[in-house]
Amino acid sequence: MERDLVEYIAKSLVDDPAGVSVNEVETDEATVIELRVSQDDIGKVIGKRGRIAKAIRTLLSAAATRGGKDVRLSILD
Amino acid sequence: MVYEFEGRTEEEAIEIAAAELGLARDEFDVEIVESLRGGFLKKGKTVIKVHTRDLKASQRDSREGREPRETREPREPRAPRPQGEAAPRKLVAGLEPDGDFELKLLDFVREVVERMGYGCKASVLFREEQKLGIRIESESAAILIGKKGKNLDALQLLANVYAGKLGREDLRVIIDSENYRIRREESIVKMAYEVAEKVRRTRASVLLEPMNPFERRIVHTTLNDIVDIETKSEGEGLYKQVRVMFRGKK
Repeated sequence: MERDLVEYIAKSLVDDPAGVSVNEVETDEATVIELRVSQDDIGKVIGKRGRIAKAIRTLLSAAATRGGKDVRLSILD
Repeated sequence: MVYEFEGRTEEEAIEIAAAELGLARDEFDVEIVESLRGGFLKKGKTVIKVHTRDLKASQRDSREGREPRETREPREPRAPRPQGEAAPRKLVAGLEPDGDFELKLLDFVREVVERMGYGCKASVLFREEQKLGIRIESESAAILIGKKGKNLDALQLLANVYAGKLGREDLRVIIDSENYRIRREESIVKMAYEVAEKVRRTRASVLLEPMNPFERRIVHTTLNDIVDIETKSEGEGLYKQVRVMFRGKK
């Protein structure tokens, strides 16, 4: 599931894995994955110029499990 | 076992062979099958045949030949795939992970791919001083590579960040599947020469499609030696475009 993918990547990259929480919200047009991490870890999941967030989004859209629906990642603080 | 490799020069073909087989250069014999010298704008091509002893034997031999500074457990290489000599350019099975760091990194790659919903095996493809090659084997390799290697690049970026987190910022992790990176390199070199010829003929500059830093470097270095051609990267971000220009004689 996309949730697990995002959660696994985020927990692997942050300093405070306990501060990672992932929520999945279904809307009509897309599945939105909401990722929250500890304040100090935000940079670790976004990266310079958003390159880490972009890589996660790329892998999300290549995941096999999505049922033809768009998957969006939103990183919240 | 006999494998066939191809490069622009003999040196390059041997380098590719060593990287793909995960062997040191003195661990295999090389036979030059075909060698075309590159001309001014012509790309040279050398095909070599690499003879390895039965892999296990060759690795054991080389171990014995070295000074006894290796205290690690002898690693048993996995048997090569039973495709025999009919499959040149196919890789031998990867090296065994060496140490905690590599194990963790391979786990990370595999776990990510599995959570994307694909089965996969990850192994060490080659080790260099500041580079670690990881090979992914999967039935879904085409999807994992993605359009122009997009997905492979994303996975590779995350693996690099993760390696940094494990304390190896100095290391560059390269992830490959189905020899995509090598095949891509070959096609970029070929394309660069073709574009350079066109630019010389028409004197008009050509802007190439967006490429990642590694791919752009291939273009720059390929055309570096050509006196009347100049290359320059344009744009912002990870995927910039290279412009190939005519410089001419002043």
